[in-house]
Amino acid sequence: MEPADELLEEESALELPTEPMRLNMGPSHPAMHGTIRMVLDLDGEKILNLDIQPGYLHRGFEKSCERGTWAQVFPYADRLNYVSPMLNNVGWSLAVEKLLDIEVPERCQYYRVILGELSRIADHFTCNGASAMELGAFTPFLWLLKVRDWIWDLLEKETGARMTHSFGRIGGMAAPPTDTLKDDLKALVPEIHNVVKEAEIMLLRNRIFLDRMQGVGILTKENALAFGCTGPVARASGVAYDVRKDDPYMVYDRFDFEVPVGQDGDNWDRFMVRLEEIRQSVRIIEQAMEQMPDDGPVNVDDPRIVFPEKDDVYTTIEATIAHFKLVMEGLRTPKGEVYSFTEGGNGELGFYIVSDGSGTPYRVRVRPPCWYNLSACREMLMGDMIADIIPTFGSINMIGGECDR
Amino acid sequence: MPTFKLDGREIPFEPGETVIQAAWRAGIEIPHYCWHPGLSIAANCRMCLVHVTSGRQMAMPQLEFDAEKGEYVPATKPKLQPSCQLAAAEDMEVSSTNEEVKAAQASVQEFLLLNHPVDCPICDQAGECKLQDYYYEHQGTLKRKLTEPVHKPKGVRFGPTIVYDAERCIMCTRCIRVSDEVAKDHVLDMRERGNRNEIVLAPGRELDHKYTLMTEHVCPVGALTSSDFRFKARVWFLKSGQGVCTGCATGCNSHVDYDPRYGKVYRLRPRDNEDVNKFWMCDDGMMTYTRHDQDRLTTPTRGRGADRVPLGDAAAIAEAAGLLGGVDADKIAVVFSAQHTTEDNLALAKLAEALGTTQLYLAALGGWEGDDILRSDDNNPNRAGAIAAAGSELRTTADLLADVQSGAVQGVLALGWASTEQLEELAPLVSLDAVVSLTSHVGALAAVASVAIPVADVFEIDGSFTNEKGMAQSFGAVLSPPAGVEPGWKTVAALAKALGHDLGFDAVEQVRAALSDNVEAAQ
Amino acid sequence: MSQAVVDRLREHFGERILDASDAFGDHEVVVGEGDWSDVASFIKDDESILMDHFTDLTAVDHPERPDARFDVLLLMRSSSTGARIRVRTQVAEGKELASLSALWPAANWAEREVYDMFGISFAGHPDMRRILLYDEFVGHPLRKDYPIDRAQPLVPYRDVEEIEKLPPFGIEEGQPFARIDWEARLAGGDAQVSPAIGLQQGQRRTLSDSEAAQQLQERLAARKAAEAVAAEPSTAEEGSGE
Repeated sequence: MEPADELLEEESALELPTEPMRLNMGPSHPAMHGTIRMVLDLDGEKILNLDIQPGYLHRGFEKSCERGTWAQVFPYADRLNYVSPMLNNVGWSLAVEKLLDIEVPERCQYYRVILGELSRIADHFTCNGASAMELGAFTPFLWLLKVRDWIWDLLEKETGARMTHSFGRIGGMAAPPTDTLKDDLKALVPEIHNVVKEAEIMLLRNRIFLDRMQGVGILTKENALAFGCTGPVARASGVAYDVRKDDPYMVYDRFDFEVPVGQDGDNWDRFMVRLEEIRQSVRIIEQAMEQMPDDGPVNVDDPRIVFPEKDDVYTTIEATIAHFKLVMEGLRTPKGEVYSFTEGGNGELGFYIVSDGSGTPYRVRVRPPCWYNLSACREMLMGDMIADIIPTFGSINMIGGECDR
Repeated sequence: MPTFKLDGREIPFEPGETVIQAAWRAGIEIPHYCWHPGLSIAANCRMCLVHVTSGRQMAMPQLEFDAEKGEYVPATKPKLQPSCQLAAAEDMEVSSTNEEVKAAQASVQEFLLLNHPVDCPICDQAGECKLQDYYYEHQGTLKRKLTEPVHKPKGVRFGPTIVYDAERCIMCTRCIRVSDEVAKDHVLDMRERGNRNEIVLAPGRELDHKYTLMTEHVCPVGALTSSDFRFKARVWFLKSGQGVCTGCATGCNSHVDYDPRYGKVYRLRPRDNEDVNKFWMCDDGMMTYTRHDQDRLTTPTRGRGADRVPLGDAAAIAEAAGLLGGVDADKIAVVFSAQHTTEDNLALAKLAEALGTTQLYLAALGGWEGDDILRSDDNNPNRAGAIAAAGSELRTTADLLADVQSGAVQGVLALGWASTEQLEELAPLVSLDAVVSLTSHVGALAAVASVAIPVADVFEIDGSFTNEKGMAQSFGAVLSPPAGVEPGWKTVAALAKALGHDLGFDAVEQVRAALSDNVEAAQ
Repeated sequence: MSQAVVDRLREHFGERILDASDAFGDHEVVVGEGDWSDVASFIKDDESILMDHFTDLTAVDHPERPDARFDVLLLMRSSSTGARIRVRTQVAEGKELASLSALWPAANWAEREVYDMFGISFAGHPDMRRILLYDEFVGHPLRKDYPIDRAQPLVPYRDVEEIEKLPPFGIEEGQPFARIDWEARLAGGDAQVSPAIGLQQGQRRTLSDSEAAQQLQERLAARKAAEAVAAEPSTAEEGSGE
């Protein structure tokens, strides 16, 4: 825009220029986290058109999966949605187990549920905290993220890593639960409840927060379905779809929990759905803790799928051969194609895998939930103000690793 | 056509064939250790047990635990038969996958692993070991016997080429049978019984016949290892190309196992060919791969002895053309090579034709002993191909030396490193200014040349050899030649261009087309 | 539930549903590429199916099938019944497939990704651009014949005219340990020494000898012919007379 004093020379030029202005937002923009570029056509502050351009975090996940063994996908899967890596680990395990037609022991299923729900809580706290921070509320961000740290402390104790655990295994988990798991959970769960309450006190009556969340970034129910939205984004728009309820996997059908659903499909609903889901996840964890057996096997009993114990590998030839085969050639799956889906942090996390009967995946397709959530973002923002991009994009919880793969 | 049914599939067979052999021909592998299509039947590993489900069932008595009575009671189970020894019969129905057979396979496999040492990490066979493959396919359980395994001799030197590890051995006797039946030398046998069983050498002998590496090749486990390949490479990193042995005029088909990461060939293995080498190769042939990176010529040179200096690629061609151009065309001797491919020799023949010289010679190796098993008396893989490419009888290098001394030859264009003569005997060539050698390795001919230009080795080119039976066998490149080095025919074509003759050879297909024209013309 | 969808599709389309399966519990129908958009709009609008929840659209490369190189898959879910269906079609290289973005806007990005990764174009797509990769990217990386360690040329800064283009990366870098070298495999090479890995890569068992098998077949055929001649001398004479 030209400087104002030039325009003042002529009276009629006080009218601002009316042709749309093209503006690049991102990929290096603090609110475009996950590295997204949006090309905006603006009329003043109003968004006339926008083009969302993902891909800045594309690392060739699907191609990389085609070069290793089935088990070597786990570290890559960790780095899909790196805010809730355990859910991706479990999703991948379940996909290959569906192909192998095996079911892991019950203790392992509960263990997977507990670690997965903890990851989901961390994911939702991160998203909601970041949403608040981007609207200027820094305290809630730190307040909520401290829960993530507690959860990570617990996950570190269980898995050995805070973030990218690579803890899932085909046919089980890398290690059985620690003896202190239940005690740690019992200490942690009430704290999570408290923080959710504190978050509500801090934010729900904040005028600025309300104004920027309510009625902004609306996605209708029909659009949510047609755009393939799932998870909190779809539920906020009134689609009562949660894989854990609709297509229960593992032991989710044994828990009593509710699926929160929004009405308006705006940022506020997405924020509130996530907050409520934290409570529901806590309920699931509490029940799983009760039901989970204290001993019993964690892994399926087949050395052709699960690594034998190291003691055996070093002392017996059978275990050595099994170890050798699993490492060098990979476990062999039957020929076929399966689509397996679980409720990830952002919605339906699907793995479409094609096996040619060998130790290497022929094709791995991830159905990333935030890919479709992000594609609906344009629909949410058309006609809104440029400042609305920040809370709306934040409430999508686009995670670059998962979206761009 | 008589057929029998294996797992519901119709398998054709010739009368007298065994079940396993007919299945193998049809591309189905019944698990086995001791059976080998090229050897006699031993039927001692019991891995190939199958259940003949048609006809009168044979029952085997056994004791079965009765939980109600709390004691063992007599029972029967179907008697399984080794498919390697079971002659196929019309309309016979055989199962190699039913529950009884699976149980037998798992038990045999478990039995074979009872005393097996934990050697996979240090065993050369790992990755191509049948014990490993069949464990994963047919056993899949962990160890039940927790006592100390039986210990037997390890690392026994059987001869210059083979090391034996008795602990890994499953006593399939394939090595004994290879020695007996292929090499016709009963140098190996077995002693003791049960778990003390081991393979031994005949007293006072060592494993030193001409086919010792075949014992290692047929060994289904890591008991016999080749001293040459031992601890050099892990097979899962190796890729395999198809080659033809350069050892002699038999032209045995081989697998060329190389590591693509380092561009290095690690070993040859025989490739089945019913018409040439069946399943075998001789030791000398197996070791021909070592020639590849010994004494390679990688840069062109000019001058002889102390005056030898390296040249650039283009400069070398120009230099060679300059030298040869200074000699009367009909006084140029063209020396073909029985070690080079027919394609290389054909390009040379076309150049000779273009130059108009009729002084054609053949350089070949000598000093080798054949046998009536595989080894030919001629240790050149492509004598027949070179003669066919030249289109006329070729004189020997001895004739060449005589012609040089008589002055009939004043310039020489030679292909290849091989010659019957030693360096001293080739001394007369030093008197000529124009001696151009196109060679992959430094040999006597290259040593006396005034210009030596490197060409690609046999592992680096697509080409073909014609063996002594007149069979042309082609093979493909597995490695890339050193930088700047081209296949022989290409170098000859470049030289021809520098001499003012365009042979029209840019791709190996064009050479092959010219080759088939030649063959047609000859007929 | 999902089986009912397959039955309904069979009933309505008859022979045009080329195949249906429920392997691993996933219900799938195979349709011809010409029926792709018909079947898609039918499952969207039919009262008893109502597939309104878009799940995924993706492709699989099978380079060994030159006539139908790509499998394109549409995964759908019905929000009312919870039924799921997978529709598969096969597309040859260079052929276009009808775009579904008018039916479900989610197909817009999904088809752009398939175009980006496999090079399959969708006819009628409003915005057929690459989506994850940049315009200067050479090739389609999820094709099997795209080597995983291929280096792409460096792209000069776009806005500056006449910039000296930086040289591309030097030697091949990346992941030289890929298990299958598809370029070599399609060319017929890339044999693996380790038999178990080789078997996984489609090599025959090391001992089986197709030439010998063929000879046997020929011998058997010749004998059969001889037997036939012996059995029917009259026809044999006619045959030899010609």
